[in-house]
Amino acid sequence: MLLSFAQFIQSTAFFTALRGSGYVYPVILSLHMVIIALFGGMILMTDMRLLGLAMRSYPVSDVVNQFRTPKRIGFVLMITLGILMACCKAEEYYYNDWFRLKMALLVVVGLHALIFRRRVYSRAADLDHLSPLPAGAKLAAVISLVLWISIACAGRGIGYIEPPLDKIHAGLLYLH
Amino acid sequence: MLAYDPSTNPLNNNDWAFPLLEILHIAGFAFSIGTIAIVDLRLMGVGLRKQSSAQLLKDTMPWTLVGLAVMLMTGPMIFSSDPNMYLHNQSFRFKMGALLIAILYNYTIHSKVAKSNPTGALGVVVGGVSVLLWVSVVFAGLFIAFV
Repeated sequence: MLLSFAQFIQSTAFFTALRGSGYVYPVILSLHMVIIALFGGMILMTDMRLLGLAMRSYPVSDVVNQFRTPKRIGFVLMITLGILMACCKAEEYYYNDWFRLKMALLVVVGLHALIFRRRVYSRAADLDHLSPLPAGAKLAAVISLVLWISIACAGRGIGYIEPPLDKIHAGLLYLH
Repeated sequence: MLAYDPSTNPLNNNDWAFPLLEILHIAGFAFSIGTIAIVDLRLMGVGLRKQSSAQLLKDTMPWTLVGLAVMLMTGPMIFSSDPNMYLHNQSFRFKMGALLIAILYNYTIHSKVAKSNPTGALGVVVGGVSVLLWVSVVFAGLFIAFV
């Protein structure tokens, strides 16, 4: 079902046009990288502040609260660009193990937010007077760093696999 | 011609070496450009507004340098995997030019202005130019594979 949805979405006129135009895909990919450069640093610095490795002269709440809105904007841009790319090559990505891993990791990022948002990020002001920071906050930061770095790695991995769609279509190869 | 045969380079003889370098290169620019962008955005009045741009510059500088060092070590290694291709690649040439200007700009005009805690148009222009320079470096890097 997911596969037929993938085939349908990439066959729509819009994504067929995107796939066909030589420079649109690399431009979207470049913008995806630009977002890493412009907004990825905010994730790194927020986590490193929680770990006490960077920006130690500012209160935790200054870093967490002031980066919140720009990080959300970056996240929305990132997801939008990602969806555009995924829909261009939806069927190919469906078979791509790195893509699957990346999607699974994004689900884990969602779980991370569910678990730690209320405990750490929404009450950053409570952390300002605590030194050293509680283990929970540091754990949140470490998991966040590991997850985002893994997501970047998995994303890069996607480009290294090209599932043999022609063989799959010809019935010579069966993957699921 | 270079008396060097890229096929002997370990990067071309190991499945994981090249992707690993690319990841380090990306992590390097997340740190370097990411921390520079924090200062740029502050110059433009976005992000850490409770802190001054001078303060942010001082506190992000070590991480910018770490990121740049990683980029400047992994970059030439990636280059060594296929020097002739890179030397003739227009996007690579553009990238090297933009990178040189971006680094010079960062350690001269950009840091000087950030230290002066500018308000208004000066900050927006200096921060905006910095963002544009680094964005063009990233774009040109990606397009090496597409031109």
